[in-house]
Amino acid sequence: MPTSKIVPLGLFLLLAILLFNGLFSDPAHRDSPFIGREVPTFNLPDLMDREIKYQASTFNNHYTLLNVWGTWCLTCKVELPYLTRLSESGVRIVGLYYEQDSDPMFKSQTLPQVQADVTQTLIQLGNPFEFNIYDEYRDLSFDLGVTGAPESFLIDPNGVIVAHHVGDINDRVWQSVFAPHFLTNTSNRGD
Amino acid sequence: MFRLLLMFFAFSVLTSFHVLAVEERYPLQTKQQQVWFQELTADLRCPKCQNQNIADSNATVSIDMKRKVHALLLEGKSKQEIVGYMKQRYGDFVYYQPPVNQTTIFLWLIPCLALIIAIWLFFSRRGEKVQSEIVDENVDHIDELLLSMDDDSTHQDNGDQGK
Repeated sequence: MPTSKIVPLGLFLLLAILLFNGLFSDPAHRDSPFIGREVPTFNLPDLMDREIKYQASTFNNHYTLLNVWGTWCLTCKVELPYLTRLSESGVRIVGLYYEQDSDPMFKSQTLPQVQADVTQTLIQLGNPFEFNIYDEYRDLSFDLGVTGAPESFLIDPNGVIVAHHVGDINDRVWQSVFAPHFLTNTSNRGD
Repeated sequence: MFRLLLMFFAFSVLTSFHVLAVEERYPLQTKQQQVWFQELTADLRCPKCQNQNIADSNATVSIDMKRKVHALLLEGKSKQEIVGYMKQRYGDFVYYQPPVNQTTIFLWLIPCLALIIAIWLFFSRRGEKVQSEIVDENVDHIDELLLSMDDDSTHQDNGDQGK
């Protein structure tokens, strides 16, 4: 075969392979730059009691699943029952409440309204959280590169982020993204 | 003429509203900071959206990023420092200028390779012209054949007319 025919054919095959791979790639997926990094420093109040403050040290000595959520977020509500089952099986889950409403740029909702909304939602769908950190101005969320809710981080006992997932957690996601860390590092935890 | 001037004036006022609104919401001290703000919000990509810069996006995360850019500029940070700050949190994805590394090197290599291949094809095709001369001879021959066929057909036509 002459080269004038091989070259276009080769280019076509190359392009076909590239586009074929593109069919099965998730355009929303990107590697988190946070794996292996320590949780950034913060000082934020409890959602229910503003007197209680949390710092990064709250993640020491446990494996913690930090779940970014909000009652305004529908997908977060969908994953609540599954997260509740996880917490019942022994996984420590802490909520990072991603405030969207009391921001001056959006329609405002007062803190008591948010608290009532959260209590109501957790009674209805299950409460997987040991406590909720109130990220009123999304400072910690910003430092964690959160793009929206829900997102989840698995933090190891040294306060280092070992897994980051964007989107809801279901059984498939738990088994593939988070469970491997538990199996290798804490054999007597979880199952 | 006066009408035209008026229209032009109205158009320029209307189109400058956007810039004025931005300056009002994100006030900055120096002209340099204002220029950087415009450039940064145009070149930073909304991480929640598929392909939109943060200037055009009203997603919560984009508004947060715009305010952060504003706050960092007020702190006296440079453009590069702010880009670094954002990249640290949202990865290389967040900046519209990808860095040169193992995966992105092809973005620069492919156009160069395409050009080299195109030049090579161009010159190798030129060499083939020698072959085409032979083809031309055949074409001349075909022309003759066609002409003779034409003659035949006109004869036939005449014949038909004769009938």
